[in-house]
Amino acid sequence: MSFFDKYASLIPVLLIYVVLFAIGILVPGMWQPVAFIMFYITLGQAFNIFLGLTGYVDFGYVAFLALGAYGMAIAVESLGGANLGFGIILIGLVLAIVMASILSLAVGAVALRLRGAYFAIATIGVNEGFRYFVEGARIWGGSEGIIISGAMRNIFGRETANFISTFVSDILVFIIAILAAIVTVLIMNRKMGYALMAVREDEDAAKVMGINVTKYKVMAFIASASFAGLIGASAWTLKMTYVFPSDVFLITYTVEAIVIVMLGGAGTLMGPVVGGLIYGILKYYLSITLPGFQLIILAPLLVVIVIAFPEGVVGALKRKARGNARKYLR
Amino acid sequence: MELLRLDNVTKKFGGLVAVNKVSFTVEKGEAIGIVGPNGSGKTTLYNLINGVYAPDEGRIYFDGKDITNLPTHARAPLGMARTFQIPRPFGGATTRENVAVGAMFGYAKASVDEALEIADEYLRMVGIYDKRDVEAAKLTPLEKRLMEVARALAMKPKLLLLDEVMAGMNPSDIDKLIELLKRVKEEEDISIVSMVEHLMHAITKFAERVIVMHQGEKLLEGPTMEVLNHPKVIEIYLGKKVVEDAEG
Ligand SMILES: Nc1ncnc2c1ncn2[C@@H]1O[C@H](COP(=O)(O)OP(=O)(O)O)[C@@H](O)[C@H]1O
Ligand SMILES: [Mg+2]
Repeated sequence: MSFFDKYASLIPVLLIYVVLFAIGILVPGMWQPVAFIMFYITLGQAFNIFLGLTGYVDFGYVAFLALGAYGMAIAVESLGGANLGFGIILIGLVLAIVMASILSLAVGAVALRLRGAYFAIATIGVNEGFRYFVEGARIWGGSEGIIISGAMRNIFGRETANFISTFVSDILVFIIAILAAIVTVLIMNRKMGYALMAVREDEDAAKVMGINVTKYKVMAFIASASFAGLIGASAWTLKMTYVFPSDVFLITYTVEAIVIVMLGGAGTLMGPVVGGLIYGILKYYLSITLPGFQLIILAPLLVVIVIAFPEGVVGALKRKARGNARKYLR
Repeated sequence: MELLRLDNVTKKFGGLVAVNKVSFTVEKGEAIGIVGPNGSGKTTLYNLINGVYAPDEGRIYFDGKDITNLPTHARAPLGMARTFQIPRPFGGATTRENVAVGAMFGYAKASVDEALEIADEYLRMVGIYDKRDVEAAKLTPLEKRLMEVARALAMKPKLLLLDEVMAGMNPSDIDKLIELLKRVKEEEDISIVSMVEHLMHAITKFAERVIVMHQGEKLLEGPTMEVLNHPKVIEIYLGKKVVEDAEG
């Protein structure tokens, strides 16, 4: 494969990001909805690195977003007086990655020795367990959480703090989406991508072929969790300026991430983008036109779509694609 | 030089003794046939060599190393490759990608780009190069078997384990495959173990030595024609003269 063929699939994805960004910047009143939709696209893109590439379902995924959110909050709260300027956001993002990846390594090293269904069951407890631990042990503010709005004003001044919350945080989500797409393609193009494909298709045969399946599953898990941590730090803590355990350890987000990945096409690069677009747009406009009813309408609709396209929209398209079109759809 | 040695290996499934105190060796560059009726423990033997199962008793040595407790995935890189009795393609991937996986993670340890080239080479060799971009799930049963042979050869193994690979093939396909196996065996100095339930004909054309399995035990072992004409072998195959039994 030529270099172009290997990375061609990034082009349509990045194009969609550029178009969304342009709409958000140029059309008055559209930044808000674009950022809302972009959150779901990015969530899907991050989760796809694990769910899509390995075929394993992690019901505790939101715990990594939550830990990332805490990572940022802890950094701002404890280093707020250190005069670091924007450096503090960088430290917060690094802490978010570190905390999410440590938890994913701990969970993965144990639970990823289990097979798909057993793994899924084992992960159900991770999120709830962590939430009760934070609340019960009263770490990180316990059930009151951490509020960073004051610290942000002290560090950046009122205006910049406001700008970070309403704009920079959304820009960060865009950047995370781009990075997650690039990492996905890098994985797909390397031995790791082939190993994960084999795991997804037939894990026992993969082992016989010489593939250290646990190693590659754990690597994908950590990569996916790290991106989740970044999303939590940016889209939640920086945007909302607070972290409450009851808000962040919410299994709803895990379910939404699963729906987005399945809807778009698990294991494809374009899938989470399409899934995030469909899900984000539907949810946003239903919450305006029929507030309170969005779940009642959304849930059955999505179930129908997922049944109609078991491989997801992009999965089905990819199957139909011939020749040149194929390399743009992976 | 000895490549593989099984020492008194036993495997039980509950009360059933699938493999009972079996010992044998495979020399470097040798072609061996393992024959035996359905349920005699042949596939289980492969699963023990591959590490799919751990033996309840006995030890297994490969290339001078005790591999009895080695994890499954650590064995192929030492130079083992196999095909499955019921083919196990990575269905959603293309035929070429399937074979490339063998080259990447087997003894060849090729990079992705090298592996894709190696894949093309072996797909040509087994004659399904024109199917390289087809999803492996869509191959015919024959093509799936040939894909598995290509995938195993792409691993550049020292030991190739074939599980009923010729079952269901017509005589001309069998002859082609045997020619191919003979050639790679000479060129690449591979030891080949091929097991069959029937198809003794194929074995006579190919194996230098034969091991007969019966109800989990090694019944006989020796030069191909001598063993296949042995009264005991004829007896376990219901009195048929097995060498004439060319049906699959
Ligand atoms: N995973 C398993 N669980 C239980 N019994 C098994 C299993 N695998 C094989 N067996 C049994 O072990 C015996 C040997 O099977 P096998 O090795 O497949 O024979 P062959 O390949 O010679 O036909 C059979 O009786 C089979 O039913
Ligand atoms: Mg068998």
